[in-house]
Amino acid sequence: MSAHYSDKFVYHEPGLQHQFDDMGQQEESVAIGMWMFLVQEIMFFGGLFTAYLVFRSKYPMAFAAGSNHLDAFWGGLNTIVLIVSSLTMALTVYYAQKGNRNMQVILILLTMFFGAVFLGVKAIEYTSKYNDGLVPIAGLNKKVKADPAAAHLPEKPCYEVEHGEADEHHYVNPRGEFQWKDCSLVKLAQDGNYLTEAEKIGYFSNDGSGAPQIDAEKFRDKVLIFYWIYFVMTGLHALHMIIGLGLMAWLLWTAWRGYYSGDYYMPVEMSGLYWHFVDIVWIFLFPLLYLLGRHFMH
Amino acid sequence: MQSTNWVPLFPEQASTFAWQVDLLYFYLIIVSIAFTIPVAAAIFFFAIKYRETEKFATPEEMHGSMVLETVWSIIPFVISMTIFLGGAIVFFNQFTPPEGAMNVYVVGKQWMWKLQHETGQREINELHIPVGRKVKLTMTTEDVLHDFSIPAFRTKADVVPGRYTYLWFEATKPGKYHLFCAEYCGLNHSGMGGYVYVMEQRDFDNWLSGSVSGQTPVEAGRDLFENKLGCASCHAGGPTQRGAMLEGIYNHEVKLVGGATVTADDQYIRNSILNPSSQIVEGFQPIMPTFKGQVTEEQLNSLVAYIKSLTPDAAAAASSVPTANTSNTAAPAGNTAAKPSANSNR
Amino acid sequence: MNAENVISSGYGGSKLNYITNGSTLKSWLLTKDHKRIAIMYLISVSGFFLMGGLYAATIRLELLTPASDLLESGTYNKVFTQHGILMIFFFLIPSIPAVLGNFLLPIMIGAKDLALPRINLLSLYFYWIGGGMTLFALMQGGIDTGWTFYTPYSTTFSNSFVMLVGLGIFVNGFSSILTGLNFIVTIHTMRAPGMTWFRMPLFVWAHYATSLVMILGTPVIAITILLLALERLGGVGIFDPAIGGDPILFQHLFWFYSHPAVYIMILPGMGVISELISNFSRKKIFGYEFIAFSSIAIAVFGFLVWGHHMFVSGQSIYAGLVFSFLTMVVAVPSAIKMFNWTATMYKGSVSYDTPMLYAIGFMGLFLIGGLTGLFLGAMGLVVHLTDTYFVVAHFHYVMVGGQVIAYLGGIHYWWPKMTGRMYSEFWGKISAMLVFVGFNLTFFPQFILGYQGMPRRYASYPEEFQVLNIFSTAGASVLGIGLLMPAVYLMHSLFFGRPAGDNPWMHPGLEWRTSSPPPTENFEVMPVVTWEAYEFGEESGMDIEAARRREAVIT
Repeated sequence: MSAHYSDKFVYHEPGLQHQFDDMGQQEESVAIGMWMFLVQEIMFFGGLFTAYLVFRSKYPMAFAAGSNHLDAFWGGLNTIVLIVSSLTMALTVYYAQKGNRNMQVILILLTMFFGAVFLGVKAIEYTSKYNDGLVPIAGLNKKVKADPAAAHLPEKPCYEVEHGEADEHHYVNPRGEFQWKDCSLVKLAQDGNYLTEAEKIGYFSNDGSGAPQIDAEKFRDKVLIFYWIYFVMTGLHALHMIIGLGLMAWLLWTAWRGYYSGDYYMPVEMSGLYWHFVDIVWIFLFPLLYLLGRHFMH
Repeated sequence: MQSTNWVPLFPEQASTFAWQVDLLYFYLIIVSIAFTIPVAAAIFFFAIKYRETEKFATPEEMHGSMVLETVWSIIPFVISMTIFLGGAIVFFNQFTPPEGAMNVYVVGKQWMWKLQHETGQREINELHIPVGRKVKLTMTTEDVLHDFSIPAFRTKADVVPGRYTYLWFEATKPGKYHLFCAEYCGLNHSGMGGYVYVMEQRDFDNWLSGSVSGQTPVEAGRDLFENKLGCASCHAGGPTQRGAMLEGIYNHEVKLVGGATVTADDQYIRNSILNPSSQIVEGFQPIMPTFKGQVTEEQLNSLVAYIKSLTPDAAAAASSVPTANTSNTAAPAGNTAAKPSANSNR
Repeated sequence: MNAENVISSGYGGSKLNYITNGSTLKSWLLTKDHKRIAIMYLISVSGFFLMGGLYAATIRLELLTPASDLLESGTYNKVFTQHGILMIFFFLIPSIPAVLGNFLLPIMIGAKDLALPRINLLSLYFYWIGGGMTLFALMQGGIDTGWTFYTPYSTTFSNSFVMLVGLGIFVNGFSSILTGLNFIVTIHTMRAPGMTWFRMPLFVWAHYATSLVMILGTPVIAITILLLALERLGGVGIFDPAIGGDPILFQHLFWFYSHPAVYIMILPGMGVISELISNFSRKKIFGYEFIAFSSIAIAVFGFLVWGHHMFVSGQSIYAGLVFSFLTMVVAVPSAIKMFNWTATMYKGSVSYDTPMLYAIGFMGLFLIGGLTGLFLGAMGLVVHLTDTYFVVAHFHYVMVGGQVIAYLGGIHYWWPKMTGRMYSEFWGKISAMLVFVGFNLTFFPQFILGYQGMPRRYASYPEEFQVLNIFSTAGASVLGIGLLMPAVYLMHSLFFGRPAGDNPWMHPGLEWRTSSPPPTENFEVMPVVTWEAYEFGEESGMDIEAARRREAVIT
């Protein structure tokens, strides 16, 4: 069919697709298309943010407890890494417009490097969750057999576990289940009347003796919801990063071949938009998951 | 209920707000007709009056009319607002539980309704209520979403796991009304329902005190088996059969999962009703729910009597007195029900 | 093919058209031509419609008697679930946009193709992959959650292939997103010189509104279904009430898409009807701007009414009030369209060709469908009506009486353009009338059944409902015949139909100014639009005398 078509359109600007009349029309189309795609992405993550907001307002204390266990150092490092990668990406677009092939290649490589660092840090964090029994799906955590030497030591009730304390003697997880032994925050919050109605129902059991007791398992379930949302959100974000790295690899190849110039740099700019979008999602994820309520009651 | 040889257009009105819902319905029907007739008439009139006289004619061009557009935007808007207000008022009545209502607790479960009165009476798939009393249902479910729906009362509400939902009504007319589960809940969704019995206060008091009927135990047992407990939905033949057929099993040997055999005597039947998963008959899944706490001892005896009557030679085979009550420590001490044996040959 | 070029300012006249330009399988499967993609969509969508229809026939047969005798309830649950899933996700949502929209939208605005043809092809592949996964799941044993996938039944209790079907719908969702994205870009950037926004056919406006909904709504169902699938995979999740999760949250997220989704289904249908009414009254559409903006208004307000699906699910009375109010507001733009269509016929020159019969049928059925929507928006009434057959009837009046009939009308109307052949007018009229009669006989009794209280999704029902169910099943058989007939005579016309000519309806739109079937690049030369939309007179450059002569020869 292209043979038939090219009968009439002999001259083609570089990169001009057959359906367009000129580069201006093509660039406008591609730009609107990319923005529409990003709108779509916002709605996609929007569903997750809605779920986050619903459960955060329902169980703030469990979310604070879970949040507190995420490592803000790694999260903060990743935030910086991504912001720097956004800079290198923006510079890539700049040098593509200038038609500077070498700088393009260098900056794309740098962007890819930062992207890889981000994923590496994410892997470190996920591994530590695996080791601590914080992956919400049963069986996907490190399986730890009971330590016979510690078996005789009495186990503390959950609200006496020091916050953030790793009780290595008692950490037993033979089936790799989600574990959370610490409800000290609830104990603290209970005295200060900080708990919401949903939390009072959600964290306590009535054993019939009158006063409701903190139920370690019920509290664990709410923390599990936090980690479920954490893994889904950061997991999908990481997936977007991986796709972004794929885009960068393709960009690297084409830039190396010298495709882009002041007349034609749309693919670079569009990949840049995508990359910035993925960064911005992280800019929202980091405070919501790592920081919010982190130091409440500490 | 209604007879089947005519087509009823409306279900019975049997609650205090049923007439309000019907009134709203009539209002909407009138609005619909008031819109449909003129528009349909205009379409037909234009289609005939201005039918094509010449192929590809070009009739005079006509542009829109701001006046017309405004008029036919505002009129539907105003009418829809009256509908909104009417609907909101009725809804408020339906979902604002009154003070001093009689409480009934409802638990939905795949695929039965378990109800309990304040006074302790338990029911399954049935609700007995007095006429002219406000009744408030507090509902939840053990598993999936259900929906407690009584069309004659013009009300329903979803039943949601992990939270309580409420429903209230005041019946105005004694009778027997359909109770449905209206939220899809899986395999036997269409079988999850029963009847609401609205009774005069005197009859209700009688019912509460337990002297429900003068039925014989076999008749009572059949009633329990086929209607009240819904055993027949699994234990009768046909496409929905998921439990063992009970015809002719009495005093015969049945094979259990794991190879053991046991004689299906009174004790076994009773045990199977109260602890169904303890002795599963070979070839069946352990899906039967326990009826412990839901059947009284009287009812249990009636059930045993009925199941026994399904075996024709049971009269001869089972002349001995069953030992159900004596061997079960869970039985209430003061059970003075007629012994099944006394009726086994009816 | 080009029997007689009746347009003096025609842009067609190519030797090769899009069908003859390349005949290898590869030239179809790897095509970037929006018309070929539309034809492949047409074939796939018809296949899904047939399957969904067979499920519907099974449902009606089962409901002939009160007992569940033809199917046991487990099978029945799968049948109605699969009917819903195939019809909604694989027929109603893609049919008009992906078939008629894909084919016509670029031609109508004078473009050579959609702005992003490779994305368009990708959307077709997403549709095939999603559809393939769903069909595979159905063959493995099917799914029984209802098309609404309500948790926790779908996450914890169902023993069917929820995850596979869910992932199929997830993938298919991207087909819808990409189509919408493509349309928006195309309408913004690809209009021919002179094709201003207010010269665009209303079909294009309707698709613009639809595309907005596709882009803003579909990602939400995608993430919701993904969460559902993950929850089934992991055995735990945020919809699980056992750990304090919220099954109602699922309903909110689900209806946030699935209510606007009914506008994805009906808005393009309204666009088709605007074209048909105008063409067969040979008159400029009455209140063009009002119809155009009412589409946008429906798309916007459509996002604010999802809670009216949840009046009895335990949401607060006040939330219910807001949703009920907005539902009433959404009714107004639909009413505006209705009145404008009727006014268009006033002092027109109305002919009764098959597409017009469908259009008139649409107006009647959509009127009833829309008005019964008010019943379901009035809170006090919906408590009684929700989850009954009233909802089923309302939904089918809007979806079958609206969308499917508009789709059939559109297929008939543009069939000569798509294939270059004319179908049998006689059989077309018969089938249009059969569909109308059969449809009403099928679904009107269900309104009455619903008010009597018959719950939906019941394999067996109390005996007093049987009479009306028999009516309904009888009607369904008429409807089924009416729907099967076009498949026969349209196929027949492909080989034996008379050549249609470039502009059989003498319509001034750009799609009628190229040859039938159009060449691959749509127009031989870039069209320049100098006329307003729906100008039927000679001033838009049509040689009406020549067309009359040609018509006289045929008849």
